[in-house]
Amino acid sequence: MDLYQSVERSRFLGRELLLFLWFESEILDATLSTKKTGSFGMWVEKEISLSVEKQTTKIRGSLPGKAREAKEALLLGKMPDKVGFRLVQGEREADFVLRGDTLSLSGVKLPTVLEEEEVIGLDAPPTAPKRKPRERNAEAEAERVAVESQEGFFERMHLLREVEEVIEALYAEFLVLRLGPAHGEFVANTILAWAEGREVDADAYAKKRKAALAGGGTRSAKRA
Amino acid sequence: MSLFRGSLTYVRFFVAGEVPDGFDGRALGQIQKKIQRPLTPEDEEPERSGWCKVAEPFGLELEHMDVFYNEYLNLGFRTDRWAIPGALLKSKLAEAEQIYLTKKGRERLSRNEKTELKELVARKLRKSLTPQVRVYDFSWNMTEGVVRFFGTSAKTQLAFADLFEKTFALKLVQEAPYTLADRLGLSKSEAAAIGQAEPVVLAKPEEA
Repeated sequence: MDLYQSVERSRFLGRELLLFLWFESEILDATLSTKKTGSFGMWVEKEISLSVEKQTTKIRGSLPGKAREAKEALLLGKMPDKVGFRLVQGEREADFVLRGDTLSLSGVKLPTVLEEEEVIGLDAPPTAPKRKPRERNAEAEAERVAVESQEGFFERMHLLREVEEVIEALYAEFLVLRLGPAHGEFVANTILAWAEGREVDADAYAKKRKAALAGGGTRSAKRA
Repeated sequence: MSLFRGSLTYVRFFVAGEVPDGFDGRALGQIQKKIQRPLTPEDEEPERSGWCKVAEPFGLELEHMDVFYNEYLNLGFRTDRWAIPGALLKSKLAEAEQIYLTKKGRERLSRNEKTELKELVARKLRKSLTPQVRVYDFSWNMTEGVVRFFGTSAKTQLAFADLFEKTFALKLVQEAPYTLADRLGLSKSEAAAIGQAEPVVLAKPEEA
């Protein structure tokens, strides 16, 4: 199989990741964790879109994953293709929409970055009186704008990277469960029970999950 | 929505291969060779793409500090395109055809004459219009080998990847469930399983 075929054949794994995150965030009370990142808050928020072939169900609301129509759509064979999430790590919160087929992010809202005063403070002492713009040396002004822009950029990239790292860590653990024996042993059945509205023993699931990840096969050097 | 403010919508590409030593010094020259050349009415091409300063579509003179932000390389991918309103082209073409036929004392135009006349009218109209300019930022973390591109259409992403590869002589692989899995690293058994796995179906089987 060449790269193109492998890419196209495996796109369903992205949709299954969305299903898995939706399922785990519900049964584990919106507290997820990975070996790499530790625990954090994450839940489905604002929108969820499910589809099969050309049929699509879109649900919007504060907690769209809880809507009856969402699970009904699953039982009709639809899978999530686009899901909005809120991620809370310590005091930082981010919103984003994750697409299943591409694993791309859209509408990422990051925590507020550097305050204006902090940025200005990089090249001027806090006690220095502010000069009127026209009094400023044009070159110094241009440099100040450039520094401000670069600092803001680095901060945004750092925060964005944090969000991406969480998603990558979740995906890495999802792959261990999905591609290993855990999927057939307990993951698939628990997801089906949850989708059908049957009682799910979250503690038992969490224990089995932990055990499966602890013995999750030989990692290649690339995986963190 | 851009690299510097607002919410972020983007796709990621992974750069295949290592950035060669001394890349910084050479890259600026390579970028300058592929800088956007604005379209003129005389140009044959209906569309052209090139690099510009990040977040500045009309910034076409680049210095090192405009492009390199420590380990990041930031640029704008700009596409200029002639977009002549269809109705305007149609009415001007009909007018031109009528004048041509009267001048030649004929009743019909050949296919070649029609094509040539259309090109002539379009070129004349371009002189009174300005090309449509679209720009999408991209940011390449050269240490991680990850490119974040802020254009969402598949056609734009392909054009971007093509220009990137021509400029830097490095291949891009777009993020997808498979390519990310490969990047994160799969064990031997997982690598075998990913090719065999079948999608989960939660649909209840139809009752007979």
